[in-house]
Amino acid sequence: MNHYFFLLKQAWGSLRQKPGFLVTVVVTMGTTLGVLLCVLTLAYLLVLQPLPYPEQDRLYNVTHAMGDKSKEAPPKAFTYPGLIHLYKNQQLFEKTALLQYAEDILTSLPNQPTLNTGYVTPQWFELLGATLKMGRLFEQTEALDTFNPVAIISYKTWRQEFASAPDMLDKKVSFSGVTYRVVGVLSKEFVEPQINQVGKDVGIWFPWDYNFDVPLKESWGYMSPASIFVGKLKVGVSASNAQQRLTPLVNDTWAEHVASIPFFSGWSIKIELEPFQTVVMGESKNTAFLLLAGVLGLVLIAFANIANLFISRTAEQRRPLAIRAALGATKSQLFRELLAESGLLMLLSVLLALVIASLGFSLLQSYMSSVLPRVDELRMNTITLVAAVFCAVLFAFLFAFLSRRAINYQTLNSMLQSSGKGTGVQVSKLFRQSLIVSQVAIATVLVFVNISLFKQAIGTITEPTDFSVENMSQISLAVSASQVPPPEEVSAVMTELKKKLLELPQVESISQSVSVLDRFGLRALIAVTSGESFTLESKHVSNNYFQMMAQPLLEGDYFSDTDIKDGTQVIIVNDVFAKQLSPDGSALGLQVSPPSSRDRLTIVGVVKGVKMPAQTDIPMRVYTPLNLAPTQMTLKLQEGQSITREQVVSAIKGVSNLYALFSLQTLTEVKQRRLFTQYTSAITTSALTFITLFLAGVGLYGILSYSTQMRRFEIGTRLAIGAKRSDVIKLIVKDNAAMILLGMLTSVLVLLALYLGFNDNLNAYLSNNLVFVFVLTLVPIALLSLFACYWPLRKYINQPVVHSLRGSD
Amino acid sequence: MSDIKIQMKNISKVFETDELETHALKNINITINSGDYVSISGPSGCGKSTLLSILGLLDMPSGGEYFIEGTNVTDLSLDEAAEIRNSKIGFIFQSFNLIDELSVFDNVALPLRYKTKVPSEKEISDRVHECLELVDMSHRTSHKPNQLSGGQQQRIAIARALVANPAILLVDEPTGNLDSKSGDQVMDVLEKLNECGTTICMVTHDPRYADMANIQLKLLDGSILTTPELQEAV
Repeated sequence: MNHYFFLLKQAWGSLRQKPGFLVTVVVTMGTTLGVLLCVLTLAYLLVLQPLPYPEQDRLYNVTHAMGDKSKEAPPKAFTYPGLIHLYKNQQLFEKTALLQYAEDILTSLPNQPTLNTGYVTPQWFELLGATLKMGRLFEQTEALDTFNPVAIISYKTWRQEFASAPDMLDKKVSFSGVTYRVVGVLSKEFVEPQINQVGKDVGIWFPWDYNFDVPLKESWGYMSPASIFVGKLKVGVSASNAQQRLTPLVNDTWAEHVASIPFFSGWSIKIELEPFQTVVMGESKNTAFLLLAGVLGLVLIAFANIANLFISRTAEQRRPLAIRAALGATKSQLFRELLAESGLLMLLSVLLALVIASLGFSLLQSYMSSVLPRVDELRMNTITLVAAVFCAVLFAFLFAFLSRRAINYQTLNSMLQSSGKGTGVQVSKLFRQSLIVSQVAIATVLVFVNISLFKQAIGTITEPTDFSVENMSQISLAVSASQVPPPEEVSAVMTELKKKLLELPQVESISQSVSVLDRFGLRALIAVTSGESFTLESKHVSNNYFQMMAQPLLEGDYFSDTDIKDGTQVIIVNDVFAKQLSPDGSALGLQVSPPSSRDRLTIVGVVKGVKMPAQTDIPMRVYTPLNLAPTQMTLKLQEGQSITREQVVSAIKGVSNLYALFSLQTLTEVKQRRLFTQYTSAITTSALTFITLFLAGVGLYGILSYSTQMRRFEIGTRLAIGAKRSDVIKLIVKDNAAMILLGMLTSVLVLLALYLGFNDNLNAYLSNNLVFVFVLTLVPIALLSLFACYWPLRKYINQPVVHSLRGSD
Repeated sequence: MSDIKIQMKNISKVFETDELETHALKNINITINSGDYVSISGPSGCGKSTLLSILGLLDMPSGGEYFIEGTNVTDLSLDEAAEIRNSKIGFIFQSFNLIDELSVFDNVALPLRYKTKVPSEKEISDRVHECLELVDMSHRTSHKPNQLSGGQQQRIAIARALVANPAILLVDEPTGNLDSKSGDQVMDVLEKLNECGTTICMVTHDPRYADMANIQLKLLDGSILTTPELQEAV
């Protein structure tokens, strides 16, 4: 034991002499292994780790495929009565649950937050083995058709909306005009299966009876796409067996009820069972494998680089090694000394890796929870720790082994006596040169690809728009009553609300329509003169919509107040559609009409087509006057001002108690959300560019440091006979320039091969600026290469020559 | 006539580490005149190599003053030292220190290529051949150093040391890696060069070769044991 302690102490002492080597190895291996551990833990979670529910392999999502034989992919949706029929009459599941998701506003709190809601039958929580912080789960008192107004809230809702109130079970909450008594708070440990949407957790659970599809109770001809059926199969019942037996149970009853509807003749229903695991995990397995492949590539590059550094260090240490060998150290003793050093370095690297991995978990949870399932469950676990230990041991042995291999034990001895020519440590010149070429080529390709993608993403993010989102916010209201009022009534309230909001000092103007960033509807229109039919994007807008959104008017006029008030048969089109209608002249005055309608809509204005963020083209669009105000509106605020949720809620309350604020967001936020992919891509590619440059820098430094080390006496001799420092730098740069240029040339060939091989997929990323991007890529690579040439030299050229010559005699 | 090539006044060298200070040279005073053949000898560890390194501007003294042809070279920057080495000092190493990748011609020509004003190719060629002639190696110009014997390599190294017309040749154990026959040949070359006026300062521990010099300095524990009156000896 003492001996091992001695070895470690000696290794530490020797490493402290070389802080550059120590830091480079630990930072490179620490970062790469950190990313590896993070992705490995994620991959285990996504691919292998069972769902945290009792006997989860028996849990199935039951789907209901409906259609005639001609339909290749029939819609998978239950009819409401069919679902209830299945729930009441099936015999194959031990436990079952019905489930629906929605969003609703908690109107009984002053800030009226919008919560994700879930509607379930009692056994849902039993199926998931849910535990409670306080209170009880749903029971028979909440079974089908009991209409018991109680609710269970999630731990997060309890913390965020109710400030962890200890008396939560005495509280009542109101949603859509119904007041519920809270009977339970779920525990912090409960992990909800995100089968509705990844990253979206339910904030409050209600009994099934309160779901929004209840009015479809008797409608055998309508689908209820939001309804979900989950069950745990009885032991011994297979999924295929269940499918066969459940299909007639549902299909026969359904057929009986729709027999009188001719539309459904020839239709049938098929019940399918999908393992719960598949439903929750979706396509994430592929993502996990892709990430793992990418990271393994990164680990390989890092490993090659660091192996090279180790060999270079062994070369540097050949004298002490030779002395040890001369003193009688055996091969295995030398190996143990090298292992102590590599082991110590890997231990430090893995410690750093664990820190980086946990940072990675937080980053994934913050930014990827809406993309990847189960990331909330991501944390340091046995797999992470076992993998960390495995990596530390594996790489320590590999590096020690490679260093050992670089030592020619037979010639070590002779080097002490020889005239400095005998080298006990050797790496062939060809091997070194091919390492330089491959490093430069890989780095150039990776940096080029990343810069191209980065440029593309930044281009999209910063692309100027033909509309304004500055100082604008959009609000959306929900009706918090069990019955929705008629549109005229809604419109009157909204107009009243507009007046109220305009009274706020920070509100400059309001458009009673959805914002420019909101999605368009699709509608079919026929050109009256040509009879040509078009499918276009369409939106109802208010009279001040275009002015407020700063969307330029090219011809004609905006909608007048009369157009809005009377719902006149007029239409404004964008220039893309105008050009289609009248390629050579003006489209003003032309008419279009909806199919199967005698209405004629006259074009009164042509506006400039606007490109939505992250979209590549401008579709044909039409705008019609909006005479009944919807529950959305867009606000333009004074420069630098903002509006709070409380202010809007109070304005709404001043108008009517039937409405609640559903969402309030700035258009900048909406735009940024739309550009989420581009932002992610910009961040990822810039990070990858730096990692690649860092790794390539380490790699090139390793190789050049080794070859400079080999040429130490030559450099010393040149300096002794009068070479200046710049002469020596020029010499080393000149000697390596050919390999660096060859590496750059190889990268051009690789990129060309990629282009020829994947022409179709790459077209979108090709631009005229590729040469510029390539030059932009070569600059850091060239600087890095120069740096890698200079840095190992500095210890020979920046101190008296005698140091370089020492040991040559 | 005394034309002073090298003058050292109270030169000392101290090697410092965390734990101890080693006084490698103490108060060295040397004056070498044009045409002198000086040998420095002494037991191992007496400071011979250190003294030669300082003489050759390969290392810096810790104290004292050092002049080459009247120029104070005590506190030069690394590049200034390189320039002086290039123009005023010719080195001959024990292990020859020829560059294996370069031909004999290119090895010899190397100091000329490092000159601030690089001579024309013809001038280089003429001078290299002239120097190779002096060491009787003009028939081996295109060989690589590792194709030559040790004695031949050392003669090439002498040619290289001479090529830039230095003020002084600094010779470090020139025969240390040679058999006695080759060693004698090398020493003959040096002797002839000195006879033709080349100033030489040689470190050796071989008393036979030390005796060939007309001024013999003995070094012990970093100090010169006897400092003969150099002027008188000439």
